[in-house]
Amino acid sequence: MSNLPDIEERIRPLLASEPYKLNVDEHQSALLALLKDELAYACGRSASICNYVERWPIDYRTSSRIADLPFLPVGVFKSDPPLALVDRSEITRTLASSSTTGQVPSRVVLDAGTAKRMTKGVMTIIRDFIGPTRRPYLVVDTAATLAGSGELGARGAAIQGLRSFATELVCCLNSNPAGDLQLEVERLLEYATKWKDAEVLVYGFTYVIWNHLVKALKDHGVVLNLPNARILHSGGWKRLQQQAVTKEVFASGVADTFGCSPNRVIDFYGMVENVGVVYPDCEQGNKHVPTFANVIIRNELTLEPVALGQRGLVQVCSVLPTSFPGFLLLTEDIAELIHHDGCPCGRRGTAFRFVSRAPKAEVRGCGNIETFRVRSSANIA
Amino acid sequence: MSDLIQAVISPEEIARAAMRLREVALDKDLSPRSVLELFERWAAALSGNGTEVIPGAPFLRLWLRRGTLEPILERELGQAVLNGGWREEGQAKLRAFPLGVVGHWPAGNIEIQPVLSLSCSLLGGNACLVRVPSDLVEATHLLMERLRAVDPTGMLLERIKLVTFDHSREDLQMAMARNVDGAMIWGGDEAVSRVRALPFPHWTRLAVFGPRLSFAAMDAETWNKPSERFSWCQRIARDVWQFDQQACSSPQVLFLERGGCGDVSPFMDELRQAFRAENQAHPRREIHPSLTSAICLARASWLLDNVANKAWFSQSPDWTILLGEGTNIPKPTQGRTLTVLLVDDLFQVISKFDGAVQTLGLAIGSAEKEEALAHAAARRGVDRIVKLGRMHVFASPWDGMDLIRPMVRVVRHVPSQDNAGSARDRRERIVSDIKRGENDPESCKSA
Repeated sequence: MSNLPDIEERIRPLLASEPYKLNVDEHQSALLALLKDELAYACGRSASICNYVERWPIDYRTSSRIADLPFLPVGVFKSDPPLALVDRSEITRTLASSSTTGQVPSRVVLDAGTAKRMTKGVMTIIRDFIGPTRRPYLVVDTAATLAGSGELGARGAAIQGLRSFATELVCCLNSNPAGDLQLEVERLLEYATKWKDAEVLVYGFTYVIWNHLVKALKDHGVVLNLPNARILHSGGWKRLQQQAVTKEVFASGVADTFGCSPNRVIDFYGMVENVGVVYPDCEQGNKHVPTFANVIIRNELTLEPVALGQRGLVQVCSVLPTSFPGFLLLTEDIAELIHHDGCPCGRRGTAFRFVSRAPKAEVRGCGNIETFRVRSSANIA
Repeated sequence: MSDLIQAVISPEEIARAAMRLREVALDKDLSPRSVLELFERWAAALSGNGTEVIPGAPFLRLWLRRGTLEPILERELGQAVLNGGWREEGQAKLRAFPLGVVGHWPAGNIEIQPVLSLSCSLLGGNACLVRVPSDLVEATHLLMERLRAVDPTGMLLERIKLVTFDHSREDLQMAMARNVDGAMIWGGDEAVSRVRALPFPHWTRLAVFGPRLSFAAMDAETWNKPSERFSWCQRIARDVWQFDQQACSSPQVLFLERGGCGDVSPFMDELRQAFRAENQAHPRREIHPSLTSAICLARASWLLDNVANKAWFSQSPDWTILLGEGTNIPKPTQGRTLTVLLVDDLFQVISKFDGAVQTLGLAIGSAEKEEALAHAAARRGVDRIVKLGRMHVFASPWDGMDLIRPMVRVVRHVPSQDNAGSARDRRERIVSDIKRGENDPESCKSA
């Protein structure tokens, strides 16, 4: 029988250990039993989850690999109210994804335990990339992004996730009455002068850094002279692809602006539904899977895990959330499987590279109607 | 790019191509009989040669047969049309002439649609300027190669220009529109609306085949009959599998009328078996990742939204059956995802239909009830009411519309000389003269 204290007890050592020390087999066996128990726990907490899990073609109780366990597509987190495994009174925060205009954002609910593990998970991963020291933290966003106690957007959540590494936090954007983001140039230059030789942590959404900091400073020929800055960014490339800004162009443009080396610019992949887990690029350009999580790249035709070098839909797995059913999630992203083990960077386990969001199919088929125009919406059954 | 399908980059290329096509269409007669003969040979050539893997190829082979098209031609344009001559109507003579150049905008996800669309306007003697969507270039090329093999003199090929360009190239779309006398437009809402808004000349005739949905329905007498149940399930599976459930005529929802039969399990078991068998016979060769995502989401949402809902599906995205109840029609997923809804009364379902529903596939025990359902569905905008298992067996009228007639002009000629009138007119005149003569001796004399 799966109970929460037992599950929490078993998550703890995974979170406390070094994040990239297990090979694929060790990793699989460390997670499989725990994920099964978390599924059983979720079934006990939610009749609808139970309905889904019990209809899965393979009985999770007898599955011998994580890839056979019932996963949820991330789209289910667009439901209202959000899927939860806790009572409303236990929800301390709701995280919302960044969604493009007109789209419904995903929302996940956190209780105290999940929120704590989320912070710990991000810290464990980021520490492995930038070290444990606290440092001045420059946020390429507005202070308003962090405001609000109940619901936090994806940008706010990512900023908060890195706060544990900060001695002090400064936001260098504001928004005008029309809601457009604007760079606070004077404040930024003061900051750069003050911390010019220091180890500085910088974070912003990829397109925000490019559009509102790099382009703005480049236009004025300004270089910040922060050679020890470590710039982390996330949030996808869609808006920059439209401007033909590749990952390399981005890294070199940001490095030029900060006056640092391009290898101090780190892209990381993450999503609010996969709480507590981020996937920064290692120096080889690969993303690694921490001990308390897993990634399966699935062939879109068979949904089976792909072989090395192949691409497919990304499934993320995490043992961290217990407030919502976010253990096994099929994303709408495409990635390439690079290694099962043996990345030259020294991190063990699965390594992959993000490729793109799954392109939307051309919805021009003669059978495609977005919504059926019913004359009456009443259910008469 | 192949020599059969040209990647165009400038509006001038399109204008030149249209001008050449118009010359051919207006200068050379093309009798429907000769088109039918060539189509018959084309249909025969579509066996093997790699065309068998093209979704819808069996349908196209059947479509191009004389046995399919001749009755359509006769029904739409009259029996005399095959000879290409004038037919008489009262004192006048009528004959179908081509519009000239017909532009075709096929949907992007039905592989055979470029060929299907152009075949309709060729039967009217037109020339065809076809925009082949990028995803269909390979399939269309394979199909057109088979035409080239059976049309060595280029009788049809000289009337066909296949072009491809990105759908966002507004200048090329406009150039196509400006240079056509007719247009056959197929596809989803957005695509169809965009093409309709192009600057066609005021005389251009548009035939629009926009987005439609199709459903299936069975009464309890049929789904609950053990001796026939499995064969009905096989028919449903066939209708779902063809065109990967993306055609307008693909059933998205199957309504089962309870009719006092509570236990649907035996039917669902056999439907599952039929889906498995159909999947084994016709495995999917590729799938768009976003369709895989949509299928996974449909499965999860269905089961999470209502704990009374049930579902059966393969581990892969191959097939999905979602079972629930009620007449609320869910958003279609396509990709072999069939929603089965138990309802108390099929008439209540039909009362919710509107013009979006194209085909209703039926399996009804009582002929009287079926007639009443068909009547109700037709009144609610449904254009095709067919037996389950034959939802994709198309004939004209297609979406309640003729296929060939909209792309021809039926020219009326009233001869200037009485003696040039029709044979019937002459016969009637003689009879009338005789009758007059019988009553009028003077008249007889003069005659």
